Amino acid sequence: MTVPLQLDAGAIASGVNNVWILVVCFLIFFMQPGFALLEAGQVRAKNVGNVLMKNMTDWTLGVLVFFIVGAGVSSIVGGLTSPGGFSVAGAFAYINDPTAYIGWFFGAVFAMTAATIVSGAVAGRMNFNAYVFVAAAMTAIIYPAVTGMTWAGGLLSGDGFIGLALGTGYLDFAGATVVHMVGGLAGLVGAKLVGPRQGRFDANGNSQPIPGHSMLLAVLGTLFLAFGWYGFNVGTQATVLAASDGGLTFMGGALGQVVLNTTLGMGAGGVAAMIVSSAWQGKPDPLWTANGLLAGLVAVTGAVPHVTWWGGVILGALAGALVLPTYRWVVDSLKIDDVCGVFAVHGSAGALGTILIPVFGVTASGGYTFLGVNQLVMQIVGVVVIGVWTVAATYVAFKIADAAWGLRVSEEEEELGLDESEHGVSVYPEFTAGQREGPAMSPDGGIPGGAQDD
Amino acid sequence: MTDDPNDGEIKMVVAIVRPDRLGEVKQALAETGAPSLTVTNVSGRGSQPAKKGQWRGEQYTVDLHQKVKIECVVADIPVQDVVDAILDSASTGEPGDGKIFVLDVEDAYQVRTKKQGREAV
Repeated sequence: MTVPLQLDAGAIASGVNNVWILVVCFLIFFMQPGFALLEAGQVRAKNVGNVLMKNMTDWTLGVLVFFIVGAGVSSIVGGLTSPGGFSVAGAFAYINDPTAYIGWFFGAVFAMTAATIVSGAVAGRMNFNAYVFVAAAMTAIIYPAVTGMTWAGGLLSGDGFIGLALGTGYLDFAGATVVHMVGGLAGLVGAKLVGPRQGRFDANGNSQPIPGHSMLLAVLGTLFLAFGWYGFNVGTQATVLAASDGGLTFMGGALGQVVLNTTLGMGAGGVAAMIVSSAWQGKPDPLWTANGLLAGLVAVTGAVPHVTWWGGVILGALAGALVLPTYRWVVDSLKIDDVCGVFAVHGSAGALGTILIPVFGVTASGGYTFLGVNQLVMQIVGVVVIGVWTVAATYVAFKIADAAWGLRVSEEEEELGLDESEHGVSVYPEFTAGQREGPAMSPDGGIPGGAQDD
Repeated sequence: MTDDPNDGEIKMVVAIVRPDRLGEVKQALAETGAPSLTVTNVSGRGSQPAKKGQWRGEQYTVDLHQKVKIECVVADIPVQDVVDAILDSASTGEPGDGKIFVLDVEDAYQVRTKKQGREAV
């Protein structure tokens, strides 16, 4: 629908679109409590405070680092890997430009989502100082380099060296690979380097379960995440009103395509995981269903505007169905203790969903079209480039942290729980009331000089 | 095994041990031939030094430490074997390893079979 207007259509469109972006950013920020609950529920009660600290650090330290360093690094990598070139001053110009701040914030909420995925993989045994360093590296360099190569017009984009060579740009709409696969792979590398929690594998290398302390928190966190995900996916369709020749066009079709595929992918992922968990374990499992729901969301995150509605269903279902077998493969074959299954949920699901985009391509009128062999090649190349970079850069970051602080807490500290050993707190304290002045206790609990004192 | 390992009596072994030793204790009891047991989460005070907790910069004393209480009732298995199994499997050598108490049990019944006495154990 086109509405003739006396007013400046460009200003109205810009205003509406920017308010829309702000609102979706607030939604994406709400993924942080989602991750906090999801991860807290999947660890032992003695490690909950540590997981919460890591999630809060990802956000609080992350926004500072991403403002001072990360966003500029993204522009520099974009310029370096395309014919466009770059200037350092230009890359960091946003720091003193108020008109750039909404755009920066839009980038920041995505960056912090990638960073916070890692904590779920290394929960329960990683040294906190080492984690803080890795979190800073994620938001300063590892993640910004990936956005530089893609959304900032670098290597893989239509304007980058590889994009120009293949005649098409890499498709990853809201970050199935740029955000989620980066977080999932970084988590996998971290979990491998930190090593498994004590007791995760027996002497024969067989996995032993360490159940999370609250499935309720994990599932609630999943649904919080799904809520925030609407900001993540639908918000990436940042143009709500398009201005043209004094008229305004509402982008209802584009918004509808992404909101539908987001919803169907989520649904298909959850249902597929429910079915696979039933077949695998005999009964439908809430945690696998929750993981599948998220994997479905991850799989369609790059694809939502580019694929048909049934393509969205297939991508979500594939990712949801593969969550359980992929997690078992990571644990049983790779012997990696990925506590929250971040590789299965974010890593492999993101890669799969993004590679398959061209196979389920949609036309402007909603029909089906294959997006071409070059696009398919571009998708595979993009996943490989992002994957190799993430694994290599994360490996280096963890090795530096290892040299500086050591990656692990001591065996005694791990046994005691990271809440007490790393933070000096108990998340679920008991018997704290009723402290009274009284006789000093002897070491074995008796009262000196009393009947028990022997 | 003698015919009458516990002088014909039923004995209960109550052991308070570290939560993280529970797996080893269960394994040791099973190897001793006394796999049946009851486990409870408990908190208690003994020789383990009190810990300091903190809340908003204010310290509080945590002198009740989390332990598990294992109750194991035996008739045909010598009670000393059960005690020895727990002594070995629960020990770390640090204060706070726990205590073991041996009690006489007056009688026993198995709910399903209505059996009474040593047979019920």
